[in-house]
Amino acid sequence: MADPAGDFLSNYRALAQQAWDTWARSWAQSAAPAAQPAASAADPLARGGAALAGFLDWLRSAALQLPSASPGQWPPAWDAGQPFLQAFAGLDQHGAHGFAQQWQQWLQAMQQGGLADPRQPLAPLGYTREQQLQQQALYEAMQAYLQAAARYQSLLQRVAAQGAERLQAQLAQRAENGQSPQSLKALYDLWVDAYEEAYAEIALSDEFRAVYGAMVNAQMRVRQLQRQQTEHWCRELGMPTRSEVDSLGQRLQAMRRQVTALQRQLDAAREAAPAAAAPAGPRPSARKATRKAAAGKAAAVAKRPLRKPAAAAAARGTARGAKRRK
Amino acid sequence: MYAPLPIDPREALEEIATFQRKLAAGLANLRGLGEPAYANTPREAVYREDKLTVWHMRGEREPTARTPTLIVYALVNTVWMTDLQPDRSLVRNLLAQGEDVYLIEWGYPDGADRWLTLDDYLNGYLDRCVDAVRRRHGLEAVNLLGICQGGSFALCYAAMHPEKVRNLVTMVTPVDFRTPDNMLSHWVQDMDVDLFVDTLGNVPAELMNWVYLTLKPLRLTQQKYVAMVDILDDPAELENFLRMERWIFDSPDQAGEAFREFIKDFYQGNKLVRGTLAIGGRPVDLGLVTQPVLNIYAEQDHLVPPDASRALGRHVGTTDYTEQAFKGGHIGIYVSGRAQREVAPAIHRWLRDRD
Repeated sequence: MADPAGDFLSNYRALAQQAWDTWARSWAQSAAPAAQPAASAADPLARGGAALAGFLDWLRSAALQLPSASPGQWPPAWDAGQPFLQAFAGLDQHGAHGFAQQWQQWLQAMQQGGLADPRQPLAPLGYTREQQLQQQALYEAMQAYLQAAARYQSLLQRVAAQGAERLQAQLAQRAENGQSPQSLKALYDLWVDAYEEAYAEIALSDEFRAVYGAMVNAQMRVRQLQRQQTEHWCRELGMPTRSEVDSLGQRLQAMRRQVTALQRQLDAAREAAPAAAAPAGPRPSARKATRKAAAGKAAAVAKRPLRKPAAAAAARGTARGAKRRK
Repeated sequence: MYAPLPIDPREALEEIATFQRKLAAGLANLRGLGEPAYANTPREAVYREDKLTVWHMRGEREPTARTPTLIVYALVNTVWMTDLQPDRSLVRNLLAQGEDVYLIEWGYPDGADRWLTLDDYLNGYLDRCVDAVRRRHGLEAVNLLGICQGGSFALCYAAMHPEKVRNLVTMVTPVDFRTPDNMLSHWVQDMDVDLFVDTLGNVPAELMNWVYLTLKPLRLTQQKYVAMVDILDDPAELENFLRMERWIFDSPDQAGEAFREFIKDFYQGNKLVRGTLAIGGRPVDLGLVTQPVLNIYAEQDHLVPPDASRALGRHVGTTDYTEQAFKGGHIGIYVSGRAQREVAPAIHRWLRDRD
């Protein structure tokens, strides 16, 4: 004997899946040009597309659970925290430039280059001793980063759990007030509110602060050691390194400060020159006025003959256009 | 504690289908759109140095204000938030009120700028920008309008060069960097900033943007794009949306040394309110800011909480201090409809009374 409720549920789920598949195909076609190499995380369509795909995933997951919803149980099986974690995972992938993936590539490159596997360290020996030590330090730094990142992820998991609890509490409260969401979009907005609130609470905790700081510091340590190794290879190939360029930049900036200070002294001397070139033996009142003018340096800056801005810039040799000026 | 959901599954399915149809139809409108232009209010470059430009903004009428106002923007993002589009432009509204407006476009730092310090920015660049405007007008002092981090800079500058600042306006400006609700500040407290800058050099804009997005991850990376679908069929609204996207993500890298100092001294050390800040060896004492000060903050600011701005009133030396709240957020204070009606007129009235 047929079960009408069961048939409806099956049909509904089939329809929902069909609608989803149709959309996914149309999205893939529409978004295909954006998937060209030129597209990047900065491309609004690519970024927005990922966000919308996440939202549609959310809609589908929520909608598939609706027929099973009952006054005592909702959502019955849906893990409402999963979309939150997925959204964060996508953000991390762009923001941290896929740091974990970069590490895997780095490790593989080291092994292919014939270097020792740092995961199985031996006491460093011989000609490449220093290099072995560096690799070992890098590997240990990466392990420290992975541990810090895992602690960070566990906090996000906690956000996911507390977000779900907040959502349930809000739904219960709204049900009591007769203000339950009447649409999936309204439910989605509530879901966002609940998770953002849970996130903000945890993100402002002392624990989050410590974990966040540890993760950032650990990643910087890895990047720094990677750079040291890269620079070692660059030097062997006769290529300039980032550290060398930085040193040059630092010296150049120090010299620019000195030039600026000298320019100021020169300007002040030029301003004082007319006073010094005044006719000999001025009357006492005039001498007093000259001393006053020399003393009032700050006022003199404002009163000196105005130079046209373009000429002033040219005089400093500073009218250099910014490459990215718009 | 579970609650029932009174959403009819058939209606939910229809809702999904409607959303998909709307998205599919609207995607075509998103393709092939050019880069949305900013307001591009007529302007003239009056001073250039390295990558910065001081622009003199031109209104449709001659300024009535005798003292020009120089806008000092933050190093993060670009100053064009103040001139985003013709009908959402703080600059245009100030010009329409009769103010004479200049602004500093800091430009995009690259490796050559990695060693720029706060001293280079404030006692170097900013000081020379102020001098350039002073010379054009033959004035001893000009007005400064500092925005966000640029407001902190303007305060420091006014404390170090009080003779060159006539009036000071600060907008959404952090002063107390350690208020309990300041999430950005909270996150950087345990960061080893020396290691950070020594490793990265300049701080990439993408990294800065990532941090900002993670302040409200779901709202800023998903919910707003869901809302965008509703305006895909409205070319004007869509262009506005994309223009804001451009502004948000077209942001400069941060010069490494200046970033190091700003995080250590302002965010971690909170030296501006503790009275222990020194820039280039010069002490920065807010008590020395005796010029008239107008401090405008946003009530829903998630980047610079109101308390972080309001702290200025307790530390500034002036006896002519005005505080004004704006009902909106950190960005809304420039681009919302309310902002167009309220912000520029309020600034103009305050400046006019002190011109």
